[in-house]
Order: sequence, then C-alpha cells, then structure tokens
Amino acid sequence: MFFIHPAFLVVSLGFAITFHITIKGSESLKFLGGLLTFACLLAVLNPLINSRGERILFTYLGGRPYTMEALLYGFAISIMFVAVIIWFSTYNQIMTSDKFLYIFGRIAPSGSTVLTMTLRFVPNYRNKIIQLSNSRSAIGLGISGKKKQKVENALMIISSLITWAFEGGIVTADSMKSRGHGTGARTSFALYSFDVRDKTLLVLIIVLEIITLTCGIMGAAETEYTPKLYIQSMNSGCFVAGITAYILLLAIPTILNLMEEIKWRISRSRI
Amino acid sequence: MQKKHVNKKNIITILVIFVLMPATLVVSWYFGNRKYYLSSVLIMIYAMIPFFAGFERRRPEARDIVTLAVMSAIAAASRVAFMPLPHFKPLVGITMISGMAFGPQAGFLTGAISGLVSNFVFGQGPWTPWQMFAYGIAGFIGAWFFRIGIFNVNRRFRTAIISFLVVLCIIGPILDTCAVFTMAGEIDMKILPTIYMSGVPVNAVHGIATALTLFFLGEPMMEKLDRIKVKYGMMDTEVKNEVR
Repeated sequence: MFFIHPAFLVVSLGFAITFHITIKGSESLKFLGGLLTFACLLAVLNPLINSRGERILFTYLGGRPYTMEALLYGFAISIMFVAVIIWFSTYNQIMTSDKFLYIFGRIAPSGSTVLTMTLRFVPNYRNKIIQLSNSRSAIGLGISGKKKQKVENALMIISSLITWAFEGGIVTADSMKSRGHGTGARTSFALYSFDVRDKTLLVLIIVLEIITLTCGIMGAAETEYTPKLYIQSMNSGCFVAGITAYILLLAIPTILNLMEEIKWRISRSRI
Repeated sequence: MQKKHVNKKNIITILVIFVLMPATLVVSWYFGNRKYYLSSVLIMIYAMIPFFAGFERRRPEARDIVTLAVMSAIAAASRVAFMPLPHFKPLVGITMISGMAFGPQAGFLTGAISGLVSNFVFGQGPWTPWQMFAYGIAGFIGAWFFRIGIFNVNRRFRTAIISFLVVLCIIGPILDTCAVFTMAGEIDMKILPTIYMSGVPVNAVHGIATALTLFFLGEPMMEKLDRIKVKYGMMDTEVKNEVR
C-alpha cells in the first residue's frame, strides 16, 4: 500500500487482478477495464498539478512544463490507487458482514449488535420509504415539479418512517429482553474453527509481512520520482529479499483459491 | 467516587491515546514515502475507539441498542427518500438530531455506524474510517451545541444556519483531508488550498442539505423522540449518570 517502486507496484496490481478474477470470473473483466482506463486518465492528468521534474516533454499555457518524471509518478500513484481499490473490492467479497460480526462479537458485543441490527434495518426501511412514497402519491401528495415540494415531501416521509420505526423497534427490544438478551455470552450464526491449517497460514503471513516491512524500512523499495528520478536498483540483496517475500505474501489468496478450484474439479470428475 | 472509576475505566482510552497513537507516528516517521496513507487511517480508527469502548462499558440495555440501531438505519436509509433530489444527503442532519435527542455518545455512535453501514452498500475503502469519524463528530457536535443552547429547536433559522457552518467548516474539511492523505502521493503545502477550495461547493451543498433537514425535521423529530423517551423510559442511564 505504500511502496511506489515500480516492481512492487506491478506485483501488487498483478495479484490483485488475478485474485479478483478467481473470485468473480468473467464479470470482473468489465470492472477492471473501467478501472484501468480511469487509472491511465489519472496518470496523464498528474503532471498538470505537479510540474516538478527534469525532462520536459512539452510546455503549455505559456511555459508551464509537462514533465516525464511527473507523468511516471502519476502512473505509479494511479496504479497504487487502483490496486488498493481492487484489493478492497475483493475484501468486500470475502469479508461479508457476518464474518465481520463474528470477529467483533467477542470484543464489542453491544457495538456489534447495533451494527447487525442496523444492517438488517436499512433494507427494511428502504422498502418502507418506497411504500410510504407510493401511498402518498396515490392520495395525490406525490412528487411534483417544485424543488421545495420535493424536499418537504421527502422530509414528511422520513418523519412518518421514524414513528413507525421506533414503535417497531421498542417491540423488538422488549422481545429481545424477554428472551434473555445480555444474560450470557454471545453466540454466532456461523461457526468458524481455528485449526492447524489456519495457524500455519497465519504464521506464514506474519513472517512474510515482517520480512517485507523490514526490507521496506531498510530501503528495498526506495524510489523518488520528482524532482529527480531515482529507483532502487533491482540487484541489491535487500530488494530481492523484499520482493520475494512480497510476491509470496500477495500470491497466497490466489493460490488458495486456485487450489480449491482444482480440488473441486478433481473430486467432481471422479463422480 | 467518580475519580476512582476514571482510572480503571478509561484505561483503554489512555492506552490508545498515549501508546498506540505515538507508536504509529514513530513507525510511520521511519517508513518511506507512503507513510501518510496507512498511518492517517489508523489514527482515525484510534480516535473512534474511546467512544465505542465507553458504549461497551455502560452495558447498554436492549432498548438503548435498538434505539441506536434504528437511528443509524434511518440516517443511512434516508437517502432513498431523496432519490428525486440527487446530492441531497440528510445523513448528517439526522445524526445531529439523534445527538440532540440522545446525548453526545449516542450521537457519535449513530454517525459512525451509519457511515460504516452505508459503505456496505457504496463500497468500503480507506475512506470508511474517515467518514465514520466525520459523521460521528457531527452527531457529537449536535449534542454538545444542544446542551449549551446553541442549537434550539424553537429557533429554527439559527439552528439551520449554524449547522450549515458546522458542515462547511468542520465536517467537510475532515472529509477533504481524507482526500489529501489517500489520493495525493506526498503532502505538498502548495496544493492544500486548492484541494480545500475545490471541496467548498460540495460541502456547501452538503451543508444546505443538513440545514434544511434540521430546519424542517428538527422540531417534529425532537418532539417524537422526546415522546418515545418519556413513553418507554429510554436512554435514561446516561442522563442519570450525568446528573449524579
């Protein structure tokens, strides 16, 4: 997330893309295409904001320079930005809200209860808002042209939603209480056990992360784009160790997914 | 009696502020050019811990939990009602009202949770902690201004104008700072004014939405919430504790 060395960037982007494809399949190609176009646009625009650099490609608007270094820097930044977005998109796929709650249910039982209930209420209230606005337009109080009326109409809907929501909420709360909420430890819907496989993987991840970070602090990925281009040479031992650990670390999710897929194919073909 | 509790209870808060925050800053100081990215997100998360820890410590009743969930869900879902009006985000306004009705802690949590939940729809990212913090602060300010009498439901114009200024001068800039730390590669003092200036129109629209929400909804909603509080005796513990 903070390396701007080109090799590290390429590794991060590459594994983000492969992992995204293993999760979403052909659907992800459209998403990735749009994102990469956006990244190129962002990269080309960067020199307009940042004019530092030595090699001037051309000047515009009466002498403002458009430099090579700033353009490269733009590419580095936008690749990093896009890689982060893709990683987060896979995170959204993997970390569904029930897993999130499983983790936080022990540390913060009340807070995670609020979160679960909110997550359930939001779609519920959405439907109610649509119902309310439909019934308002059925009695002739629907949305008309003027902005002021639109605002007032929407606020009226929210006002009636609140009354309905609170009366329902109190019933829920009393029901929770009479069923013994808060008397014992929280349990979860899904059960995840932490076995030897998970421990091995966790240790592996931590070791690889430590190696990457130490190499990072020692300057394996040291890079400057503006005002003068400087890229850490790819031959130093520190760089090799850092990038190897980084590649292994980022390859873990893809490898896991592919292995699952292969196992599934094999066991299905045996039937 | 109060003091004895402080030592024991606030240990998490003290740890976070005096150990975790400086540690992150020191580590990030030694860490190359992209240090702002992660450390700024981490600091935002640390800033929210005391509020959540305080809520856990209170051992809230089922009713308090449900009330918070209902307020957060309304704040997050309210955008649907404004479908015909794009860019109209009533979230901050409703968070402020929640703070006014249920106190600073509940206000902060409403904002933070609705920020988190609405991002389950719009997509999580490094901006999530920033939004949670900004909306939480909005709820906190709403409660605080209401206590000291700056927000007054009977003076709708004053409340609306002040809430507009709060969004324009505090909430908006916090969200813009997120853009500074996550989008820009390195902090360049020269481009800071440009980023904040380009945020002004967006923040102004956001502020107008908040002001209108408070102007029209402030009084009726407070009345409803007060009625519910009296009817069912909710969120009493916080008030009682403070009176004590």
